[in-house]
Amino acid sequence: MFKSTTGPALLCSFILLFLSFSAAAAQAPRYGGTLVLAVTSDPKSFNPILAKETSTTAMTGHMFEGLTTMDPFTLKVIPNLAESWGADKDGLVWTFHLRHGLHWSDGEPFTAGDVAFTFNDLIFNDDVPNSARDIFTIEGKPVRVEVVDDTTVRFILPGRFAPFLRSLGQEILPRHVLAQAVHDKKFAFTWGIDARPADIIGTGPYMLVDYQPGRRVVFRANPYYWKTAPGGGRLPYIAKIEYTIVPGMDVELLKFLEGSIDAYTMRGMDYPLLKPREAAKGFTVYDLGPDLGTSFITFNQNPGQDPVSGRPYVLPYKRAWFTDIRFRRAVAHAVDKKRIIEIVKNGLGYPQISPESPAAGFFYCGDVMTYTYDLDAARALLGEMGFADKDGDGILEDGAGRKLEFNMYTNADNTERADIAAIIRSDLERAGMKVNLQLVEFNTLVAKLTSTCDWDAVVLGLTGGVDPHFGQNVWRSSGQLHMWDPRQKTPATAWEKRVDDIFTAAVQEFDEDKRKVLYDEYQKIVAEELPVIYTALGARLTAVRDRFGNLKPSPFGGVFHNLEEIYIK
Amino acid sequence: MAPYIFRRILTALLLLVVMSFVTFMLMRLTPGNFLDTLRLDPQISKDTLAYYGKLYQLDKPAWQQYLYWLAGLARGELGYSFYYNVPVVKILASRLGNTFILSLAAFLLTWAVAIPLGIWAALHRGGLRDRMIQFTAYAVLSLPGFFVAMVLLWGASVTGWLPLGGMESPGSADLPWFARAGDMLRHLVIPVTALSLGSIALLQKIMRGNMLEVLGRQYIFAARARGLPENRVIYGHALRNAINPMITLLGYEFSALLSGAALMEIVTSWPGLGSLMLTAVRSKDIYLVMASMMMGGVLFVAGNLLADIALAKADPRIRIR
Repeated sequence: MFKSTTGPALLCSFILLFLSFSAAAAQAPRYGGTLVLAVTSDPKSFNPILAKETSTTAMTGHMFEGLTTMDPFTLKVIPNLAESWGADKDGLVWTFHLRHGLHWSDGEPFTAGDVAFTFNDLIFNDDVPNSARDIFTIEGKPVRVEVVDDTTVRFILPGRFAPFLRSLGQEILPRHVLAQAVHDKKFAFTWGIDARPADIIGTGPYMLVDYQPGRRVVFRANPYYWKTAPGGGRLPYIAKIEYTIVPGMDVELLKFLEGSIDAYTMRGMDYPLLKPREAAKGFTVYDLGPDLGTSFITFNQNPGQDPVSGRPYVLPYKRAWFTDIRFRRAVAHAVDKKRIIEIVKNGLGYPQISPESPAAGFFYCGDVMTYTYDLDAARALLGEMGFADKDGDGILEDGAGRKLEFNMYTNADNTERADIAAIIRSDLERAGMKVNLQLVEFNTLVAKLTSTCDWDAVVLGLTGGVDPHFGQNVWRSSGQLHMWDPRQKTPATAWEKRVDDIFTAAVQEFDEDKRKVLYDEYQKIVAEELPVIYTALGARLTAVRDRFGNLKPSPFGGVFHNLEEIYIK
Repeated sequence: MAPYIFRRILTALLLLVVMSFVTFMLMRLTPGNFLDTLRLDPQISKDTLAYYGKLYQLDKPAWQQYLYWLAGLARGELGYSFYYNVPVVKILASRLGNTFILSLAAFLLTWAVAIPLGIWAALHRGGLRDRMIQFTAYAVLSLPGFFVAMVLLWGASVTGWLPLGGMESPGSADLPWFARAGDMLRHLVIPVTALSLGSIALLQKIMRGNMLEVLGRQYIFAARARGLPENRVIYGHALRNAINPMITLLGYEFSALLSGAALMEIVTSWPGLGSLMLTAVRSKDIYLVMASMMMGGVLFVAGNLLADIALAKADPRIRIR
């Protein structure tokens, strides 16, 4: 009797004790531990100003920060190294107030001088090739930066530039470390992959401790990091980040399944393999919504001719088809986006209708002209143009009896894109076209698009961003990447002129709502005129091992955008 | 001997120049250049692209670029990697060691296993064990090494007994040296096995053949007739003669030490020269490609020369003039 009552009671108190412990553990984030990730290629540099591609920026992103940053959920500009700012009424002079008491990872104070140095001596240094200069060159003139006092800095813009605040995510670099290299004209070779890790000084949550080419990149928490936890405790929680360098996605996937890495950015095709294993292997698949990039088919409308041979880039009768809006609309009706999503993206994708991705948030316009998959509509449009299958071989002929046949290129190394191109070909053949699909090397494709211009149709994708302004190289009629008819002296069509005007007006408009009206109009024009015909966007899926606290995945920032707040349970 | 070596080195130099010229022109003949990836980035202006083109001398004709490169080589400079923005020597140095570890391990394993196996098979000629070895050797020889590696990797992914490629486990950098060495050995198992299997099968066949040939010679018969112990007949007389031709092979194998593992490195994600070269060719990082080509070429020529010299030293019947 005595025993039978105390036994369960003891057990209960043990369970209670245990529960209260685990509850406490859930409340107080733990310091320490290592986050293990994989990358598929080596960083090319540790210098954020010289960084050209994502395997480099993924690394520098841990070590450096800008004056502003973007809220990962609302995509609004929020303070970072600067705590507040203001502009004059013309928007040409901006004053930024830096946070007090910030330090570099070597303990030196962070001051306004570092900001001025980064812009005046690094970004606008003629000896230093960099793409940041393209962003901060406004109407052909550089932005100038003046130091007002230790924590105040003034930017003087040569013209109104609406994406300015967002662009100030530009990383700030330390003057006390780099001034000598700039003086010796050696900055272009500073902080390369041969640098001593301890020499690389930033303000970010982590600092580099080890890099072994082809093997690993290791970061350690920066003891001087300025952000603090809600209770005032120091950040970041995780003591170390280790990147394992793997040769490809397949190896990365196997390593994730094996349990040796903590997260894996999935391809659509990995979903059936990973999703059923979630519980057994202890990870979770996060769906972060559509990709930021684009995927499309475009037709060559270039009226020019090869300067050497004198031959037209596109045969004139084909160009007559491609410039006819009815032809492009017929193609848009004939491309089955659902099938692309089903087959290529394993059902995990989104039809793309506008040049901006829904992931761009605020500036995305979903209210544009759409083209349902409808072969009859496609055939009707082609019939209107005078196409008919006169000899009964299943391929349409135009009024002069020429077969509706063209070459379509895409790059062979991107298997997903090659699959999309194959589906587009079979779709277009159903509508009565003969498409000669050619898979070529990436470099060949780029040469075709940007210099030789000898192509009929191309299936391609481009990277995208949040602010539509940075797509101007594609959309302005004078743009290098205005693929269907690049580098125009004056806009060839009325709608291209209007898009030019929109980009010119929007970059000077500071009211975000008014800017959105302008960019909505450009998206509507593109959907109506179809210089490029969009296909489908993949879903961004990330599988993460279930051992992290404070994980707040965002569609824009991904799974680890708030890495400094994340801890290992 | 000295004039011979001098002549050989001169020919080798000429050969290397021809090789570098062909490689350079092939790289330039293929469409596109290093800047193509940047060209498709909407944020990069054409001024910046032109600036890079000038910086990397991509605007100059191919023969001029080649002469620049050759002149640099004469001064001992191998140029800068476009991609990594550091001298190519620094990139190659970091990878060279990794490739060397892998190749040397495969090399040692091959010779340590193949030679005794060949001798043993020859001594048991025609027996069941010999026939089993020869059958297995044929089977192994018919399998390409990269396929063996893939099967082994698949096995590792199913069983979890061995790591899936790479050179080290995450976190191993913090371990004491013996644990690190153990970790690397575990990573070596698959690539080394795949690299050695074929060579072992081939080498043991050659060794067995040599040994059998020697064992049939009159002097072996004579030695036995004089009543020498069997061990001395085999290891003292037969083996010394049978191993002679293997020295040539050793030299050739040495020359292939750095280039032979390229494919295996790519398959098993070993961070060596092979995988580096693949990315370099793909991204048109021309000076990096040239430097690694030259290194492979120099080693190959040097290995062959060493093999010939070693053979002359070892076999008194061969005279080089």
